[in-house]
Amino acid sequence: MTTEPAARSRHRQPLLEVLGLTKHFGEVKANTDVSMEVWPGEVHALVGENGAGKSTLLKMIYGVYHPDRGQLMVDGKEAPIGSPADARRYGIGMVFQDLRLVPAFTVAENVALAMPEGMTLKLGRLADEITAASEKFGLAVNPAAKVGHLSIGERQRVEILKVLMTGARLVILDEPTSVLAPSEVEALFRVVDHLRGQGFGVVIVTHKLDEVRTIADRATVLRGGRTVMENVVPSDYTNAQLIEAMVGRSVSDLERGPSVALVESGPAALELLGVDCVGDKGNLALKGISVTIRPGELVGIAGVAGSGQRELCEVALGLRKPQRGTVQIDGHDVRTPADAMEAGAASIPEDPVADSVVTRLNVVEHMVLNGRPFPSRRLGIDWRTARRRTDEENDRLGLRIAAWNRRVSDLSGGNIQRVVLTRELAIASTLVVAAYPSRGLDIANVRRTQEILLERRDQGAGVLMVSEDLDELMSVADRILVMHDGHISGEIDSADFDRQKIGELMIGGAA
Amino acid sequence: MTAITGDLKLPKERGKAQAWAIQALPVVVRWVAALGGALLIFSILLMIKGTNPIDAYSDMWSSTFQRSASVEEIFTRMTPLVLAALAVAVPARAGLTNVGGEGQIIMGGVAACGAYLFLGDAMAPAVLLVAMIAASVVVGALWAGLAAVLRLAAGVNEAISTLLLNFIALDVLLFLIYQPWRESRTGQPATQELTDLAKLPVVAGTAVNVGIVVAVVLVVAVQVLLTRTRWGFRVSVAGGNAEAARRSGLKVAFLVLSALMIGGALAGLAGMIQFSGVEYKLRPSFGHQLGYIAFLACWLARHKPFPILLASFVFAALSVGGDSLQLDSGVPAASIYVLTALILIAVLGFTTPRKKTS
Repeated sequence: MTTEPAARSRHRQPLLEVLGLTKHFGEVKANTDVSMEVWPGEVHALVGENGAGKSTLLKMIYGVYHPDRGQLMVDGKEAPIGSPADARRYGIGMVFQDLRLVPAFTVAENVALAMPEGMTLKLGRLADEITAASEKFGLAVNPAAKVGHLSIGERQRVEILKVLMTGARLVILDEPTSVLAPSEVEALFRVVDHLRGQGFGVVIVTHKLDEVRTIADRATVLRGGRTVMENVVPSDYTNAQLIEAMVGRSVSDLERGPSVALVESGPAALELLGVDCVGDKGNLALKGISVTIRPGELVGIAGVAGSGQRELCEVALGLRKPQRGTVQIDGHDVRTPADAMEAGAASIPEDPVADSVVTRLNVVEHMVLNGRPFPSRRLGIDWRTARRRTDEENDRLGLRIAAWNRRVSDLSGGNIQRVVLTRELAIASTLVVAAYPSRGLDIANVRRTQEILLERRDQGAGVLMVSEDLDELMSVADRILVMHDGHISGEIDSADFDRQKIGELMIGGAA
Repeated sequence: MTAITGDLKLPKERGKAQAWAIQALPVVVRWVAALGGALLIFSILLMIKGTNPIDAYSDMWSSTFQRSASVEEIFTRMTPLVLAALAVAVPARAGLTNVGGEGQIIMGGVAACGAYLFLGDAMAPAVLLVAMIAASVVVGALWAGLAAVLRLAAGVNEAISTLLLNFIALDVLLFLIYQPWRESRTGQPATQELTDLAKLPVVAGTAVNVGIVVAVVLVVAVQVLLTRTRWGFRVSVAGGNAEAARRSGLKVAFLVLSALMIGGALAGLAGMIQFSGVEYKLRPSFGHQLGYIAFLACWLARHKPFPILLASFVFAALSVGGDSLQLDSGVPAASIYVLTALILIAVLGFTTPRKKTS
């Protein structure tokens, strides 16, 4: 099975070898007998579903956890890595999913924090070094820029640069694309490609197959804490084979028939007429938009990020007041969030951590915040009933949310998303507004979420779905509206879906 | 980056109690070290003043806890502290900082005095006390409600507005006792003393007014309100993430207003009890510093009702101890504030559970 990367001929031994690592936490077998290797000049994708053991493996490589069994080899020699500092000494650098930069500091100051300590801080010289390094490694970074003003993609570049400047030869990127817009993903991959050309080893964690195919020379697939594919070349396998390796069963193509419940007459599930709306930056984010979604249809919204999608969703749900125009759900005027909920709207927010997660509250306490009356017991809440409902909804939707008593703010992004999805999609609704519903989810849960949205549609709900993933939109939507600069720049029916045409409309094209 | 937490390494065979003890031990050690450190620093100050700290502490202890009059005084002083600390705890649940206990206490006292002056002759004693309580609760709530309205209508941070309202409340008090409500007989800037019928009765067999009973009952009531009612749940959602509350259809404005007004009502009641149970007349120093000390007590209790009882007791005991410190050791009573502050800093600084960095 093992194949060799092109760079192998020039090097005698792998940069990193992972040999039979095992790590158990009590009953939880996080990693069992996991092996993989990375050569200089190789991009190695580490893929697997949520909970497959990727994070544990990375933490062992980076010295945060100590393996129960197995060993790490660097440059062919045994490397007892006991701490992140050890890992850095061996030339292993890690870019975490939650970037660890100080927003109030400049790029140079942040890099200074990571450099070996001296008594004085020579920021001027460091800035020169950063500029030199950013040219050498192909990472465009301005050392004087304040990190708080940078986009997520730019911050990621700073982190990578930081890791390289402290002497890393192997760069580990933990789910770098999960926080990026598509254009930023392209920029990141250009950087990774550049590093490969200079002989660095790169490990990139992802659960998106198209990314594996775009960037990786080889891949290792983890499932249930074990390696199911080790150091394989992705192009030797079909998508179906790789998905089966990740999920453990074959995932059939999504079956989407025409809507069985489409209602052409009567009140629309959502009707926006001539809506103008000001966005957060004070600009006019929606410019005379009219949108009608019939009960029983799923309408996708495509567009470059920041074209007015967020404002569209918020206006539809009564969360944002339009300056002009009307909003109706199922024939009822919507002016407040309560109006929208009474009319039967459910919503998956764009930013679940900021808009849904309440500090200190656990899963079941989040589940009752669905806009319906609480299950009551005298003056209080009947938590027993609430727990029973949560279990029942979890069983019915099958997104396998975390235990009822876990604090939601402690959960990972994907697990938070599953709680929100289960809460909002478990109850019957007339309108579902779903912004990036599959954000942070692995393949099995993405599929399940799409199925649930289609089920809602077939039960007569109108569904508005915003996504930046055109493949996802084209596979589930009955219609796609393309947004550009606050306008609807085009509308395409499912029969005529055409990636090229949608792409042109997204940039406001004349087509 | 810290490695895996210690409890994961615990062998499973060990009993639960033992595991609990291992986890609790550092907490106990931290508390003992914090309190011991505060006492140590204060001892050094005492020695600089030429006082033997051991003698001072033992005098303080014996005259504070071994004389029944002193113990009764502790309970009398802790009553308004408990209520005013609850007045901080309830808004805190909604994410609000009520620094206005001082002003709300004053306005509660003023309202109770007003009710007494205008209704005193016309009512039966029991009804009069109820009217005084009602007036103090309503006026305290409205005074705090003012800050809530400023926040909701104009976006003024309630920590600032409640603080500023304290100074206005003090001005209202001074105006009333210098002008319309001044007792003509003595000419002092104070109201006339309450008749005995308008004073709060004492708990049978003691010199402590019944306010302490009210305070304990309200601690339980607030605990139930915050943790066992739908309102309390909604308030904690709004306090935890106002945007999430809004998106799930909660009326955040109402929750902010009601939480702050309930706080104001509790502080207003503290003012009534201080007036009708302790001071009996309004003077320029009425309720002096109670609101601020209660604010500290609430923080020491981490905004939780039952610990507020303990924290208020500690602060009341320290203030009684301060008086005896002056009498027995010749150290100014005000120096007890130094000890109080040291304890607060030590406890808050060294026993706060810190978020582990992973």
